[in-house]
Amino acid sequence: MIFAVTGQDLLTFLVTGLTLGGIYSLSALGLVVVYRATGVLNFAQGAIGAVAALTLANEFLEKDRPAILGYLAAIVIALGLSLFYGLVIAPRLAHRDPVVRAMGALGFGLSILGFAGWRWTARVQKLSLPTDDVRFRIADVNVTLTRTIVVVLAVLVTVAITAFLTRTRVGLSMRALANDRELSSMIGVDVRRAETTAWLLGGAIAGVSGVLFGATKQLDAASLTFLVIPAIAAAVVGQLRSLWWTLAGGMLIGVIESELTNFRSISPYKDLTQLAVGAGVILLLQRSRSVSFEGAQR
Amino acid sequence: MGGARTVVPAVVVMAVLGWLVPAVFGSFWLKTFTAAVIYALASLGVGLLYGRLGLVSLANFALRGVGAWVSLRLSLLENHLPIVVNILIGGVVAAVIGTLVGLPALRLRGLYLALVTLMGAGAFFVVINAIGFPEGGTGFSGREGTEALRNAPRPEFAQSDPAFFRFSLLVVGLGFLLVWALLQSKSGRAWAMIRRSEAVAFSAGVNVTLYKTFAFTLAGFLAGVAGGLFAANVGRPGTGDFGAAASILLFALTMSAGSYHLIGAVLAGVLARVLPALFSEWGIPADVANMVFGFLLMVSLTAAPEGAAGEVHRLWERITGKRPSGPDDAGSGGSIAGGAGAGGSSASVEAAS
Repeated sequence: MIFAVTGQDLLTFLVTGLTLGGIYSLSALGLVVVYRATGVLNFAQGAIGAVAALTLANEFLEKDRPAILGYLAAIVIALGLSLFYGLVIAPRLAHRDPVVRAMGALGFGLSILGFAGWRWTARVQKLSLPTDDVRFRIADVNVTLTRTIVVVLAVLVTVAITAFLTRTRVGLSMRALANDRELSSMIGVDVRRAETTAWLLGGAIAGVSGVLFGATKQLDAASLTFLVIPAIAAAVVGQLRSLWWTLAGGMLIGVIESELTNFRSISPYKDLTQLAVGAGVILLLQRSRSVSFEGAQR
Repeated sequence: MGGARTVVPAVVVMAVLGWLVPAVFGSFWLKTFTAAVIYALASLGVGLLYGRLGLVSLANFALRGVGAWVSLRLSLLENHLPIVVNILIGGVVAAVIGTLVGLPALRLRGLYLALVTLMGAGAFFVVINAIGFPEGGTGFSGREGTEALRNAPRPEFAQSDPAFFRFSLLVVGLGFLLVWALLQSKSGRAWAMIRRSEAVAFSAGVNVTLYKTFAFTLAGFLAGVAGGLFAANVGRPGTGDFGAAASILLFALTMSAGSYHLIGAVLAGVLARVLPALFSEWGIPADVANMVFGFLLMVSLTAAPEGAAGEVHRLWERITGKRPSGPDDAGSGGSIAGGAGAGGSSASVEAAS
């Protein structure tokens, strides 16, 4: 029954939804930063986060090694993988069109997913962070510190990256690259530096969102890898450009998806939300364009 | 022209395979090879879209699922239609959905098309997980009631594994023949021109909209028929096989095997189904196969844009000293588009756009 849902249910799932949405937004921000500066839609981002989260859970927390080293390792691995792709493989595809460059990242992601599935066969189901134990109640809903951190972090990262892009020299060159790569490199924008920065930012965000997803939702290689799909949907809402719209897109998808859990008859289909939003926005944005020839679109 | 030179050897090879493979291999490998042959048919459609038109569709594995669902539902309905007809209907339904998925392709291109098709594939995964494959029950989903679970029936003349292998080989062979014939025809020339330049094709009077849509319809049909065969081969398909990874893998393997040559689709089928089976035989986990596939995709993108089939083709030309006028190039290197073989030059068109 649809009307058996109470306001309290809605509120409870709003908290879950904001957390989920926060992670979607965070991942999506990483995608947007990398895409703007390098022109690569980083399909491997989810997989990079998966390795970070799974290393932390299986190699450190599970084996009672120092947790702090685990967090460090997670970040270093995420940065390393992202940088490896960005500096070693992506340049080989730099002159191909965007879809081929995205497919290259997809190949990298598949390889990492294969590695993660082989190395860690679903031993640990969920990642537990120390912040999970800090709880408080807001309007009769239990909220953990982890969930609060997710939402705050998503907003903070949006603010920070916006400031970074508008206030710093590297940010300026990243924006220049997003506008016109050829022209930017011709007038002396330090392409390498801007791209490296973007891949590092993307890697860090991938690692953090992987760990947070593992802690609040699910910790297995495949789900973490395909976190990239809702992230893409959110990034599409921002047209792979606007950080604030991306943040809003991710939050919206997360909240709708989570609230649909309340309605039993539609609940199995709740994952359609991200797909409907993503595909819907793409189709809507293209609606005004007539049949177009190559080069007319980016 | 040159038709018999291509078709006759292909028919001979298939006849030999149809006799040899069941004679040599046991049940496990026979099923694996059947699966590889079926996979090749789905890969053929993806290769057609990418290799001939430069369109990236990540939805075709899902369309294979659509075909499987429809033919399974009809076969279990006891509608007394021959199984072959049910498989074909599955193909037609998948073709219709494939066309709908392809409609955005008329406006979208490149990355955004890939994303929309990926979303479509994801949507299929969600839905198929919610409703499941028919199991011989009643109701729309074929899962209600308490009847005993039933397997997907095979045609009465192809009940045994060897007979079903030959049947699959025949159906897939006909699919290849269809695509090959189309590539020799007006469609092939139209696709080749669109691949080179949509604007030029348009101004030369090619109906760009029609031929792009047609390619999606054809690819959907091939995927749907492959799905029907797949259901009959495994008996009770599981929904878990249709995740995003599988959709992506179909594209990745088609790319690495080579989408500019029809033989690439066969190679993709072998990679997708025989390699993991070999790995499990050797005690290597299946995940390692995924590592290899991802790696192959990166290699094929960076180093060998024509894929493995292209490399083999080139090697063959070097050995025989023949000019590049292979059977598969005939369509895309056709008279209107003119010039050198399609493979290498289409890669450069991509670079330019």
